[in-house]
Amino acid sequence: MSGTGKSKPISPFRPSVKRIFLAREMGVTIPLLFLVLLIGLRNPAFFSLDNLINVLRSTSFTFIVGIGMTMLLVSAGLDLSIGSVFALGGCAAGYALTRGFPIPLAIVFGLLVGFMVGFVNGGIVVWVKIPTFITTLGMLYMARGLVLVTTGGVPIYPLPAGFRALGQEGVAGLPYIIWIALALGVAADFVLRQTTYGRAVYAIGGNEETARLSGIRVSRVKLSLYMITSVLATLAGTLQSARLGSAQPNMGQGFELEVIAAVIIGGTSLFGGAGTIGGTFLGALFLTVLKNGMSMVHIRPDWQQIIIGAIIIIAAGVDQWRRRLHR
Amino acid sequence: MTNATSKGNREPILELQNVTKRFFGVPALRDVSLDLRAGEIHALVGENGAGKSTLMKILSGSYPCHEYEGEVWLNGQAQRFRSPGDAEAAGIAMIYQELSLHLDLTIGENIFLGRLPTGRAGLVNWASAWSRSRALLEEVGLDESPRTVLRQLSANQQQRVAIAKALAQEPCILILDEPTAALSVTEADRLMEMLLELKGDGYACFYISHRLDEVLRIADRVTVLRDGMKVSTCERAEISVARIIEDMVGRRIEAMYPGRTVTPGPVVLRVENLSVPHPSIPGKQLLEGISLELRRGEILGLAGLVGAGRSELVKALFGAIKAGGGTRVEIEGRPVASDSPHEAIAAGIGLVTEDRKKDGFIATMDIKQNITLASLSLIATRGRIDRARERAVAEDFINRLSIRAPGPDASIISLSGGNQQKTILAKWLMRPLKVLILDEPTRGVDVGAKVQIYHLMNELVGRSLGIIMISSELPELLAMCDRFVVLGRGRIQDEFTRAEASAERLMRAATIVNTDQ
Repeated sequence: MSGTGKSKPISPFRPSVKRIFLAREMGVTIPLLFLVLLIGLRNPAFFSLDNLINVLRSTSFTFIVGIGMTMLLVSAGLDLSIGSVFALGGCAAGYALTRGFPIPLAIVFGLLVGFMVGFVNGGIVVWVKIPTFITTLGMLYMARGLVLVTTGGVPIYPLPAGFRALGQEGVAGLPYIIWIALALGVAADFVLRQTTYGRAVYAIGGNEETARLSGIRVSRVKLSLYMITSVLATLAGTLQSARLGSAQPNMGQGFELEVIAAVIIGGTSLFGGAGTIGGTFLGALFLTVLKNGMSMVHIRPDWQQIIIGAIIIIAAGVDQWRRRLHR
Repeated sequence: MTNATSKGNREPILELQNVTKRFFGVPALRDVSLDLRAGEIHALVGENGAGKSTLMKILSGSYPCHEYEGEVWLNGQAQRFRSPGDAEAAGIAMIYQELSLHLDLTIGENIFLGRLPTGRAGLVNWASAWSRSRALLEEVGLDESPRTVLRQLSANQQQRVAIAKALAQEPCILILDEPTAALSVTEADRLMEMLLELKGDGYACFYISHRLDEVLRIADRVTVLRDGMKVSTCERAEISVARIIEDMVGRRIEAMYPGRTVTPGPVVLRVENLSVPHPSIPGKQLLEGISLELRRGEILGLAGLVGAGRSELVKALFGAIKAGGGTRVEIEGRPVASDSPHEAIAAGIGLVTEDRKKDGFIATMDIKQNITLASLSLIATRGRIDRARERAVAEDFINRLSIRAPGPDASIISLSGGNQQKTILAKWLMRPLKVLILDEPTRGVDVGAKVQIYHLMNELVGRSLGIIMISSELPELLAMCDRFVVLGRGRIQDEFTRAEASAERLMRAATIVNTDQ
């Protein structure tokens, strides 16, 4: 306490300003505001309460799965199977409901399926050491196949009114789905930033071998991340079934790519070691606003795809440019 | 010494004149001149980092001519190699340390890879490839079909294919860099017989080896390099092990190393019958039958050449790589499950690895996160990290170890090598350790930080920690350690105390020379 620690007078202003501008989320915030403004000027209906809630609801689905995907990407992992697991969860819950399961139990059943899929994904990656890309790509097909086999390709409905309420009603003016996404987001942000578990996730993504040699139980953490991601995917799928009032075997096709796009637009590094839940929220919001807004200003769907594709590439480019800047 | 021998012509066919090579301003070779005569085997020896491989890479064109100073003369003509292709065209064939062969291709394909003989329409003329392969295989004494897939061959046979591949370029000069490193004793024997035959056929060879017994057996001349400089070249008749070792080791300043007076206490770490299986060759052991003890307050030096298995030994006892069955590791009499670093760390062992960039620090994290990485449970309550405490701990270490950094939030990659190393040391000092393993702790570290690390080591043994130190710098190892274990060919070759230690004895054991030579 002899004052040696305070010997370097660094301007308190500069680092904090720099931090705000270099924060990974900033990459999306400005384009997002710009986008909102642009769309709002062309079509003020964008700002209607109904549309805003609609945007937030769509964002919630991407965001809920994006939470798991963010944690996985931060640990330098990946899960391509979530689109199918999304459908698997929704259909499992729907199936249980038609078999007369009480609603909470049916939901738990859906999540349990996700839990097991995640265990298989993670187990293959961690113990059999097959690359995560291959493992989850295989699971993408297998889970979709499982959905089609069990449902015969036919949507499951009608679903009980109590279950549908979960997806269609809300409290305090907002749908339940938005509240669930919000709660999960806050919890995940806390875990990732403040707990030893979260620190381990960043460490593994930064340098897996160093993490292992520092006593972090890498296999355990990685396994748990695949399970978290799958469970979140089945949860989102269950909520989607509730919202639609039926469990669709073909829902969630291509969803994995949309989620990954949102996470990357939100500033999570493709190479692991960096990324935040807040960023993923902004990324998911950005993607939804973009899609919703483009429809509202009457951009044709085929052109929408081209624009979304370009934005993903730009987001990844910004990530790499930022890395170079830091080195 | 220039009078003609039975061979007659002793004119050099290859000459290197005043070669200096720098990496980022640091000289790796300083004003080295060397020659090679027709039909001779010229051995190059020296400690790790003495400049042997650098010199040979200049000869083989791996470092283009504008990257170094000095001249290369071949058959009386100055050469300016811009690429390995230029050197090959001039008749210099390099056989690399790590086998650069493709295991899933046939012998013939490997030999002619990239220059398969072609006929009309650019199709491969396989008949010619097979017959020429057969001739080359005969020359290297390998009785196998050229159509055999390489994976089916033993290490020795693969080595011969590599040589056949080099001979396919019809060179006049062969450069062999540690060709026996991956071979067993008998395989190495056979390889050397073959080299002597090739020499009889008129090939001239540069031969790099750590094993002095091999050098004594086949070399016509031996050149010793140290710290990038040529120390001596002697003719076969003048070769003596004592002299070579003396030249390799040299004499260096002693003042760098602080003295200490700690009497070692009871045994803290006991390793019994440790073995490590070879990662890619089934049935082969990298290390076997290793037993050793470490006392509290003692620094044990683990010596041996690069590739002798020093890092593998400490990694296996730390649980970082798989140890063979029958291996037993005990801390204060209690067995440690040697299958995960987590267990070893919980038992009180810490490991500073040799390559800090690869597995020492996490580049995406800042200084404080790197320091607390192995002690997260110590700064957390029920899984939640106390970030104020983390910062305080990191600041404390930054002051104590005088890590030169803007603060605990600075990125670790913004630090110099020495300060990165001190950060990694802090990571382990944060834990209640019993045994600290330091693998090349001063590699790539400036002199100031080096001395500080030595002082720190003394302070730690003063607090009755046991330290195992690995170092390729002999003077450092000799000055810092109380006791020495020398590894070679997968086994302990010698074990002695500080009083009995000398650079010569250590080098002798590491290079595995029979003591009567």
